[in-house]
Amino acid sequence: MRFLFEPGFFSSAPVGTAFVIGGVTAVVSAIVGVLTVVRGQSFAGHALTDVATTGGSGSFLLGISPLVGFIGAGVVGAGAMELAGVQRRRGRDVATGVVLGAATGLSALFLYLDTTRSATTGVTQQILFGSIFTVDPSTIPVVIVLSVVTLALIGWMYRPLLLSSLSSELASARGVGVRRVSLLFMLTLAISVGLSSIAIGSVLSTALLIGPAATSLRLTRNLRKAFVFACVFGVLATWLGILFAYDSYYWDPSSQGLPVSFFIVAIIFLGYLVSGLTIVRRFVGPRVPTRGRAETPRRARPSNVGEVV
Amino acid sequence: MTNPAPRSRRHLSEILGRVAIAGALVGPALLIATLSSRVASASTKSGVISAVGAENEYANVLSQVGGKYVSVSSVLNNPNTDPHTYEASPSVAQAVSQAQLIVQNGVGYDAFMNNIEAASPNPKRKVIVVQDVLGLKDNTPNPHLWYDPKTMPEVASVMAKDLAALEPSHRAYFQTKLAAFITSLQPLTTAIASFKTKYSGTRVAVTEPVADYLLVAMGVKILTPFVFQADVMNGVDPSPENITLEKSFFTKHEAQVFCYNQQVVDSLTVSVRQSAESNHVPVVGVYETMPTPGYDYQTWMLAEVSAIQRAVVQHTSTKKL
Repeated sequence: MRFLFEPGFFSSAPVGTAFVIGGVTAVVSAIVGVLTVVRGQSFAGHALTDVATTGGSGSFLLGISPLVGFIGAGVVGAGAMELAGVQRRRGRDVATGVVLGAATGLSALFLYLDTTRSATTGVTQQILFGSIFTVDPSTIPVVIVLSVVTLALIGWMYRPLLLSSLSSELASARGVGVRRVSLLFMLTLAISVGLSSIAIGSVLSTALLIGPAATSLRLTRNLRKAFVFACVFGVLATWLGILFAYDSYYWDPSSQGLPVSFFIVAIIFLGYLVSGLTIVRRFVGPRVPTRGRAETPRRARPSNVGEVV
Repeated sequence: MTNPAPRSRRHLSEILGRVAIAGALVGPALLIATLSSRVASASTKSGVISAVGAENEYANVLSQVGGKYVSVSSVLNNPNTDPHTYEASPSVAQAVSQAQLIVQNGVGYDAFMNNIEAASPNPKRKVIVVQDVLGLKDNTPNPHLWYDPKTMPEVASVMAKDLAALEPSHRAYFQTKLAAFITSLQPLTTAIASFKTKYSGTRVAVTEPVADYLLVAMGVKILTPFVFQADVMNGVDPSPENITLEKSFFTKHEAQVFCYNQQVVDSLTVSVRQSAESNHVPVVGVYETMPTPGYDYQTWMLAEVSAIQRAVVQHTSTKKL
């Protein structure tokens, strides 16, 4: 125990805050992430991080909380992308190349102004790569409320969302407002990206969104199992990352701790690599889906698309 | 027989195209040439040495030593920004290229000055690097050399020597001005010595190493680990262990004073300051560059020493000078 948890780990206030925010964010990211992968919108999730970066870096100029900036810009960006159809495969190259480039350029301007016009020193690091140990504890209630709202929204539209993910034609025929469902899902995606930007930074937030989801969908084709597995893996990666970052203070005699975002993303990446090994897939790999299960994510694998159509 | 008319037309269009390309290449070149000749013609008044101080505290001392025979501008002079993240603008580059005398800190604090100087070479230009005057290594951990009370007397005498080399006819004037500057540091020296005798061993927490040289000269015990200070200075996250430790100086009432860098601020340093305030530890604002207007180097340093002394004796905060 002493070997794994260095002294003061459980009594440290920054660690406590990081555990709550990291854990809650990992759950939301995992749930939204599985749906994002199933819907084939990983790219939209990544695109939203660029827009969220712009909002987060702009928030310091306006003197508002970076969380508001991340989510505000994400929601506006998600709405714009949904209307422009950027998240769809066709036509995305040109539109995204221009729009996301502009968003990133704007972030560069905002970060420059942040650091040169006012005394905000760590802002670039904080926005791009996160600083979960320095998050103000008063952010916790906001993070929890946003998470509950996001999960409730997904629960409320779960069936129509899944149906429209599998086949939008079929969903329309059954009276599902495909456009509205898609827009609402982009909203949850924007909130989820905003939350994980607070935890591990906007540039890395895709890792927490897509990583655990992609790993779990490699191991199971049962969507319920995939949700549970992604949540467990995401939370585990986040908490282990926090633990390693805390312990890293004692690894080096100079007492220079290593960044938590690195550990979280490294664990997620290792998990994804390991899940691809044949030996792992033989034990916990996907089995042939049981007949008649509506939630089976056939679109998770491109080779299965033909079966659905 | 080939048709000559289309071919000649093609020739014409080719020629026109080449002319257009040549124009596109030569035009900007001419523009640059005109601009640079304008820059070069903007010469200084005769007899007045044009000088640049990379930080406004050095510029201030230089203008005190040079008096009426020097015209000094400064690069880092905004008390609301963090000099560690400064990026030079073209107007700075122009001022540096025209300067006859430059004073800069060194130790990587104002590395941008080296780039600008290299971009406009001038063998007659004199550059005083404070790091070299003090004989410090490049890996000196704390770059805020001007807070050390020993620094400015040495730098000022080098300034007087270089000014005299540029304008030998005014040598006596610069020597008188230098002597006046050294004398004017007396109240500061006295204040530091008197604090050291009365309150040596005072325990102080800091966010950043900005005033550390002064605090050490005052006989203060700095509680904050240097790794934490360096992390804040460099804009990276300190480890959670050190955040907890830093805040414990206030909750356990170990720190008697909290020195807060007003120019290197982030959400963490704000939360540390709030922790000091809620535990009634007096806060003293310290600055990277000289706060303007209303201060020169001597009065600024004296104000910082007095503010720290007030915090120790009367438990009052001086958040802003």
